[in-house]
Amino acid sequence: MRVLIVEDEPDLLRSLTQALQEEGYAVDGAADGETGLFNAQNYAYDAVLLDVMLPKLDGWEILRRLRKTKKTPVLMLTARDQPKDRVRGLDTGADDYVVKPFDLAELFARLRALIRRSAGRTSNVLAVGDVVIDTGARQVSRGGQAVALTAREYALVEYLALHQGEVVTRTALYEHLFDENESTLSNLLDVHVSNIRKKLGAEFITTRRGHGYCVGGAA
Amino acid sequence: MILQSIRWRLQLWYGLVFLALLTGFGVTAYALLRNVQLRHLDGEFQRRIGPLSMSLRPPRPAFFSFFPNQFTNSPGPPPGGPRLGRGGRRGDQEDQGGRGDRGVDFPGGGPPGEPGFARPDGPGFQFRLPPEQTALFGSESNSFYYVVWAPGGQELARSDAAPRAVPPPPAAGAAAGPAEPRMRGVYREIYRATPGGGAVLVGRSIAEELAGLRRLAWELAAAGGVVLLLGSTGGWWVATRAIRPIEDISATAVKIAAGDLSQRISAADTDSELGRLAAVLNSTFARLEAAFAQQQQFTSDAAHELRTPITVMLAQTQTALARERGAAEYRATVQACQRAAQRMRKLMESLLELARLDAGQETLKRMPFDLAKTAGDSVELLAPLAEARGLKIHCAVPALPCVGDPERMGQVVTNLLGNAIEYNQESGQVRITGERQGGTVILSVSNSGPGIAAEDLPRIFERFYRTDKARSGSGGHTGLGLAISKAIVEGHGGSLEAASQPGKGATFTLRLPG
Repeated sequence: MRVLIVEDEPDLLRSLTQALQEEGYAVDGAADGETGLFNAQNYAYDAVLLDVMLPKLDGWEILRRLRKTKKTPVLMLTARDQPKDRVRGLDTGADDYVVKPFDLAELFARLRALIRRSAGRTSNVLAVGDVVIDTGARQVSRGGQAVALTAREYALVEYLALHQGEVVTRTALYEHLFDENESTLSNLLDVHVSNIRKKLGAEFITTRRGHGYCVGGAA
Repeated sequence: MILQSIRWRLQLWYGLVFLALLTGFGVTAYALLRNVQLRHLDGEFQRRIGPLSMSLRPPRPAFFSFFPNQFTNSPGPPPGGPRLGRGGRRGDQEDQGGRGDRGVDFPGGGPPGEPGFARPDGPGFQFRLPPEQTALFGSESNSFYYVVWAPGGQELARSDAAPRAVPPPPAAGAAAGPAEPRMRGVYREIYRATPGGGAVLVGRSIAEELAGLRRLAWELAAAGGVVLLLGSTGGWWVATRAIRPIEDISATAVKIAAGDLSQRISAADTDSELGRLAAVLNSTFARLEAAFAQQQQFTSDAAHELRTPITVMLAQTQTALARERGAAEYRATVQACQRAAQRMRKLMESLLELARLDAGQETLKRMPFDLAKTAGDSVELLAPLAEARGLKIHCAVPALPCVGDPERMGQVVTNLLGNAIEYNQESGQVRITGERQGGTVILSVSNSGPGIAAEDLPRIFERFYRTDKARSGSGGHTGLGLAISKAIVEGHGGSLEAASQPGKGATFTLRLPG
């Protein structure tokens, strides 16, 4: 999963980025409104964490402009907790609303729910054959046996499972699993796929040559 | 209570006044009509009573022998009559006595006026009514009637319509001439004493007129009742209309009391008394709402400013504690927490300072000091910052002695200078000038920065107002600096103003009473 954080408070941006990376997300940060809007419009994020009070462009304006072209789930971060501010945020097109100060655990839970909903799922638990993925606990089991995955491997499995039955292109995987600092030209993806096949069975991920990868069902 | 309602009280008073007016009108109309009728009647009486009294003639021979003085002394009719009557009392004594006897010994013995009673001509008085006069006294129940008495009180004649019992004249012969008409039951009557000591009476039954008047009275009462009802309905309508603005005001006030400060009284007619009241109340409500909104905004801004560092601390610590970290990572977390705490401390100090300035509790010293020296100290303090940004500070301030709190004024000048340095362009300039104009000391701080946008200019002294809608994390600004500076300067009785042309820098002008 790849998320964008638009937050002008450097210490907060830094700790949110670190915490989300440790949760297995690919994270891009933007410290002002213009950069934030540019990133949100030009990359395929699974979610955007958007602060309201920002230099250059405020959160409302970013949201308004973004909604003209993209449906990326947006979670507003704001210190304003008046009901009218929440209403305004949700009416402008925000998908959720978290008031500062927040607990990281709650923020992450809301983020997961947001991504799950945008993929059309209602449960935290995804099943592909005998492989079960608990996105809340970030754990994968096969035939009832817990399987240990690295954060990046888990992210790849989760993303494919969220889109099971569909062919997911390599580009899409790069876009959603790697942040802008990581090279998309490396064969990092092949290494991860090969490792996952070792752990969850070779048939778990099918390769559609020239198209991409697929999990579960036959699309 | 229904009587506590202004509308009901208005209605009650209105009804009472209306009732009094209607009653007065009715009574007056009734009395006027009655008077007109009676006056007309009295006129008719006068027309008849003259000839009537002329028709009562004293006896010729007997009269002269009996009252030898009467016609020799005074041949004329009244007003000589009564005086003569009284004057002749000496001579009358015997006569009266005799008359009394005669009355008792009246032939036939029956009371005067009885049918079949023979008209007495004993004393010789004669009553002959000319026929054309007779026609004026009919026999109907509402016809005029007459009764004629001889001087002794004997009834000489009466017309057919005369009621049976007509009291004799009050004192026959006592007062000649017409008396006032009087009412006796349903009869209107008038006496006239004749010169000879007799009396005539003309009267008429006015039972019909009285019945008519009574009917009129009832009709007036009924009409009055209807008018009162209509008037009260109209009054209710008028009271309702008059009360409506008051009810509007009251309803609005209730809503405002319930917490909705945005409510306003709808006052279309602003020139009326209530319209003016509504306008005054509305402007008061508007000021109240603005003050309330400002207060709310301030509190909300202050909370907002505190939320950000708390969010940083929470996120930093929770991230750090999520797993084992190296010493360097912990160190970074602690440093971030320290920065957040320092920011909160600064904000808290600023808020407290503003609160004290607002409440007038901040005791500003009053001592003579040189504003030029204060400016010089600030320049010295901030020179390294300016140098780091490649800026030049030109300070040309002559000695500016004034009275106040040098420490606080130093804070103000440092704040202005700090802003001039921070919101400047690369290798720009900052200029401080001072002068004295009359009793006012003026210090200006201007820079060559991008200036302040026109829409921001009027608001830059507002609390937490920032030209850029963001926290400036690195600068550590609370957004209260200019607000505090303005409060301090105004606490000195001075003023702080900003002027700017976008692209050409900004100038802050400080004026203090010297």
